[in-house]
Amino acid sequence: MSQDKKEVIIQVKNLKKQFKHIEVLKGIDIEIRKGEVVAVIGPSGSGKSTFLRCLNLLEQPTSGQIIFEGSDLTDKRTNINQLRQKMGMVFQSFNLFANMTVLKNLTIGPMKIKGMKQPEAEKLALSLLQRVGLGDRGDAYPIQMSGGQQQRVAIARALAMQPDVMLFDEPTSALDPEMVSEVLDVMKQLAAEHMTMVVVTHEMGFAREVADRVIFIDQGVIQEEGTPEEFFGNPKNQRLKDFLSKVL
Amino acid sequence: MISLETMGKIWNSYSSFYWKGLGNTLWLSVVAVVLGVILGLIVASGRMLTIKKDENIILQLLKYAAKFIAVAYVEVLRATPLLVQVMVIYFGATSAGLKFEDSTATRMFWCLIAVALNSGAYLSEVIRSGINAVPSGQMEAARCVGMNHWQAMQYVILPQAVRNILPALCNEFVTIIKETSVLSMVGTAELMFQAQTVASATYIFVEPYIIAAIMYFVIVFTLSKLISAFERRLSRSVTR
Repeated sequence: MSQDKKEVIIQVKNLKKQFKHIEVLKGIDIEIRKGEVVAVIGPSGSGKSTFLRCLNLLEQPTSGQIIFEGSDLTDKRTNINQLRQKMGMVFQSFNLFANMTVLKNLTIGPMKIKGMKQPEAEKLALSLLQRVGLGDRGDAYPIQMSGGQQQRVAIARALAMQPDVMLFDEPTSALDPEMVSEVLDVMKQLAAEHMTMVVVTHEMGFAREVADRVIFIDQGVIQEEGTPEEFFGNPKNQRLKDFLSKVL
Repeated sequence: MISLETMGKIWNSYSSFYWKGLGNTLWLSVVAVVLGVILGLIVASGRMLTIKKDENIILQLLKYAAKFIAVAYVEVLRATPLLVQVMVIYFGATSAGLKFEDSTATRMFWCLIAVALNSGAYLSEVIRSGINAVPSGQMEAARCVGMNHWQAMQYVILPQAVRNILPALCNEFVTIIKETSVLSMVGTAELMFQAQTVASATYIFVEPYIIAAIMYFVIVFTLSKLISAFERRLSRSVTR
């Protein structure tokens, strides 16, 4: 398999996360390689969103290691702000900065964090907005846009930092059905450009069509993983079989 | 009987008293609220400190102490009358020898401090709830762009919190204008004190206060209307 030759960009070792007395993640091990699209599926409450949020330390892992581009994120000495610039994140609820125009949403990171000059940042922002099909909406405020448009802006905002990995936390779950495809199309385009992506999703069609690898998380552990063909065509784990029979 | 004629006469002879009183009331209120905002910001940040278990133990203790002081300050100042606070601070400070050459300046200064402390307690709660009302996803998104906590506060959270805070802040100003009337009890020459002076000089005890009431009403009513117009504009604005 050609994937095995690519360099590992995120390595997760025995990741555990406990909230008060509930152990949500009970030891996750996974390697994510450059250019790979990994879809994470599982029932709600299974820990898949927590897993994703641990990858950029939005949740502090209770134990275990996350090694991103050679740096251990769980090490106190690691500068997490610097590493987060290289990990774009897209949320279920978009979370565009409500006090800024769309253009400003895209330029604030490059300008304030990377020290990019305004004309350069705006040029980059405009080209990204065009890429997600919203080249003419730079002056709008987030609240003036539909959910699908906001989510596309959110993807563009993450891309503006020129990340090495994009994390998607159920990016289409809060969207009206007719807007799901416009967001998925942008994500497919990204995958085609070999962006490394980790996508927590309920869109089985997307997982099957776009992902290189699908992971099934339930009860805080990875129950099964594989290529979409073997994963959907020949699931072995009983829980996965039950899950797929409900959602497909 | 209330007589318009008497009011007219009083106004003709003593209008300068009232204007001076109103002037003092207004500048005391403005300065007190400005100081209150600064104090409120400090106290609110004290209350909102997050204490992490893996931090240096000294730092943790300091944070606990700061939090405790902030909470105690807010609770004490909100649960006692302003008049009592003014008395305690003014007489407490002057009996401890903390005064200027000029007794008027001393009075003004300590009254100002008392009102600022009082409004700082209320404003810290206004500021805290204004910041907490910004959805947590905004902070998460800012951190994911690579901002540190303070950058996220500066660029994303505080600009949105200001929208939540401004109307309540204006209302606090209006309240303070009325509440400074208690400063008359220690002899600060604000509007209420000036009315008392006129009353004792003329032996007329209703009309002088009605004049003061009218002046308070005009100022407070006008400001309140302006504030609600401003509030409507804010809520109509595109970003909210």
